[in-house]
Amino acid sequence: MTRDRRPLDGPRAAPWAPETVWIERGEEHSALAARVRARLPATPFRIVGDTAAAEPHGEGFHAGKRRLVLQRQRGSFLQHCPAGTTGMVCCNYLVMNVGSNCPFDCSYCFLQDYLANNPALKAFTNVADGLAEVDAVLRAHPERTFRIGTGELIDSLALDHLTDLSAELVPFFADRANALLELKTKSDRIANLLHLDPRDRVVVSWSVNAPAVVAAEEGGTTTLEQRNAAARRVQSAGYKIGFHFDPLVAHDGWEDGYRDAIERAFDHLDTRRVAWVSLGSLRMTPRLKAAIKARPQRAPLLSAELVPGPDGKERVWRGLRVQMYRRMLEWLRQVDARMPLYICMEPAGVWEKVFGNAPADREVAHRLVATP
Amino acid sequence: MTHLDIRAYAAARRYSAATTERWLRIEPQGGEALLEVATALRLGENQLRGLWEWAEEIAVRDGLSLAQVLRHESILAARARPLSRNDRLKLVKAALRRLRFPRLVATEDRLATLIGALGLPRSVRMTLPDHLEGDEVRVEIVAQDPAALRAAALALQAAADRPGCAEIFRLLGGESHDHDG
Repeated sequence: MTRDRRPLDGPRAAPWAPETVWIERGEEHSALAARVRARLPATPFRIVGDTAAAEPHGEGFHAGKRRLVLQRQRGSFLQHCPAGTTGMVCCNYLVMNVGSNCPFDCSYCFLQDYLANNPALKAFTNVADGLAEVDAVLRAHPERTFRIGTGELIDSLALDHLTDLSAELVPFFADRANALLELKTKSDRIANLLHLDPRDRVVVSWSVNAPAVVAAEEGGTTTLEQRNAAARRVQSAGYKIGFHFDPLVAHDGWEDGYRDAIERAFDHLDTRRVAWVSLGSLRMTPRLKAAIKARPQRAPLLSAELVPGPDGKERVWRGLRVQMYRRMLEWLRQVDARMPLYICMEPAGVWEKVFGNAPADREVAHRLVATP
Repeated sequence: MTHLDIRAYAAARRYSAATTERWLRIEPQGGEALLEVATALRLGENQLRGLWEWAEEIAVRDGLSLAQVLRHESILAARARPLSRNDRLKLVKAALRRLRFPRLVATEDRLATLIGALGLPRSVRMTLPDHLEGDEVRVEIVAQDPAALRAAALALQAAADRPGCAEIFRLLGGESHDHDG
């Protein structure tokens, strides 16, 4: 079948800027606050003792995306990935939470459930404490190589034009032998990265999807063409690249759509410098489903053949899911059979049907850090 | 008129205010079609919400109105069967489920046919995982004496050797029976 390979570029997404910035008292002179103030000279700033005041009480989840809160992280920065649920094969991923929520508006986003009670977009001012925490873990386990990502509760790069956070993270990880940092994004805010030397310790990855899903469900994000162009640029600058085809959405024409997305993603990329590619089916808790239903526009993805699984989340029923994974695997292996692939939040039985075997958790993690 | 009818029905069945108000907010033809189904099947609030949710999801996916989904010929036929209210409700739910999960139901149908063709005696029952979310079947044997147990085991062994049995496990493993991707 002939696919339409015209560029998907629409109007370039404008860099996100908040309507108001709230700063926790005591953090107004932090380096992060100074950088954000310098980048947003016309934006009102409010200094408050308790940043709970910045939460959009009664205004809904989306109001949280229009404000930025700069505050200290008082808990641990480092957590095990919440996707590591009992019964699922887990890739032993660690998450470093440098903030929470995201300026983009993907209809399927789990943060609508996870951050329902505190949706104000936050960036933490004491990331140096987080890096000290990471450093302690890396020193305590020199025999292990860790994969640590910042893109779980926030897009890793969407605020980088305001925070310059990558300029703190990349040099730190570039100097560590036993960790890989993953910066996961749907943005193209890569300008800071191009001037840093990752020394093979940083993977910049993009969440990508079929063009129809990007257009219908990923509000405010960059186009696929913009993401792919950014991937090519950062790879040229010395970074490893990753792609996450997640969530896979069963929609009319999904085969053509995902094949097209794969072809576009790897066009003009050196596949030997691809650290990993993940696949994950659309999954939702009952609360997330309710949040999606409450959105102003009905999301067509709710009409997929979703059924409840043993973990309480709805996914496309298993036969169709396995079929989708197998097709994706086939197309990805046609691109380069050596690229490390994994699937996210699936039980061993699904891995067996897709890959022919179900690895132990530690084995998945080992495969993903063992790439050249 | 329909608004008054909806209010009257919802009040009589003690529906919550939230459900009633939501019902009144949808476009009139959809509200009316929902009232037809509710009245015909004497639906309680949770039953109505379940059918409504599926019907809305079908409507979004297929570009239809809620009324068009609820007045689909398969739904009307199920409603019109000369059966008890409970049996008609089951048929309506099954018809709606068939529209909501077309590929899943087609696979379930194929699996039911294959299981039927295994020729298992009534003492042996093969059960599929809920929503086909799994690749294991559960087999239950009922026997009152060793001879009945032996006969059931032999029938099961013969069934396991039939080509249809292998197809059952292939389908559960994610292979498409219609090869339509």
